[in-house]
Amino acid sequence: MEGDKRFRELIDRSFVEEVSEGERQLIHDHIRDCDGCKRYLELTARTIRGLREFTFTSEPDSNAQVREILAHHTETMRQHNVQFKVWAAFAGALSMSIVGSALVYQVAKLLTVPMYFDTAEVQVGVLVFWLLPSFCSALRLLAAPGENRGIA
Amino acid sequence: MTLNMTAETETAKIARGLRERDMELLADLVERCQHRLVRYLLYLTGRREYAEDLAQETWIRVLQRGSQYNGRQRFDPWLFAIARNLAIDYLRKKRRAVATVSLPNDRDAMLLLPSSDPSPFEAAARSEDAMRLAGRLQILPPLYREALLLRFQEDLSLAEMAQVLGAPTTTVTSRIYRGLAALRSAFGEGDSHGG
Repeated sequence: MEGDKRFRELIDRSFVEEVSEGERQLIHDHIRDCDGCKRYLELTARTIRGLREFTFTSEPDSNAQVREILAHHTETMRQHNVQFKVWAAFAGALSMSIVGSALVYQVAKLLTVPMYFDTAEVQVGVLVFWLLPSFCSALRLLAAPGENRGIA
Repeated sequence: MTLNMTAETETAKIARGLRERDMELLADLVERCQHRLVRYLLYLTGRREYAEDLAQETWIRVLQRGSQYNGRQRFDPWLFAIARNLAIDYLRKKRRAVATVSLPNDRDAMLLLPSSDPSPFEAAARSEDAMRLAGRLQILPPLYREALLLRFQEDLSLAEMAQVLGAPTTTVTSRIYRGLAALRSAFGEGDSHGG
């Protein structure tokens, strides 16, 4: 009985995992003399064959529906991606504008004495010729049509 | 060797297409896998309407997370793993009230919950033997049903099954044996080692 149990485990394994040629021969030799194990093998084979005899039909338009949903999602994701890129570029341009203006202001301040400039004049100059144009450029990025942004 | 090379090229192509969100490739994958995906989800949930909905969700997830597919393994196990996670989350939401105790892990526990609705297996049976198995499949815990499908219909290797199920191969084989033992009794065999 214990021997039969071992053989039945081996039979199961032969259907599910790799078994050696020797083990296969062992099963073959055993079932010649053991009707119980022979029936067990036949039933296992029949069960597995039966499992392969199920045919599930999909909804007729199932594939087309999925493709349509995917196309819609792809477009939505593309738009989100473009929007994200634009805002990221704007944030970058704005930061560069502010940092750049600060640097230019510092340099201009150093030049006030040798160039006989007034501090107020330097501030106006940086504002008019650096900060405002760079800020407008950053804003223009947001307003430009997608294909002209050079980032999307 | 040639076959391996072909398989590598194919999976690499899929990985690249998914990264680039190539609609043509996605449409091709849907054509090839949708039927099997629905069948897998049907085995998992036991409900046709769940399976169809979850299959759609799975494809959306594939689109969103396509870059995570590395192209080193076959695409099918990766797809089934996504579908499985979605199905478990879905069932968890649906059946929050049911207690799940004494199981190896909470996610698998959700799959042991039997469906109360009629199963679609009888409708799909194409032979007398399949019809006899249909009744058993209906009451078989989905964990075992799933293991049998992946092994004998999808022909996944044990390693691939382990990847899909997120379980060691010993657990995978144990589920197959137990599932087989339960189904074998449909043909009048009560004596089996599996349990």
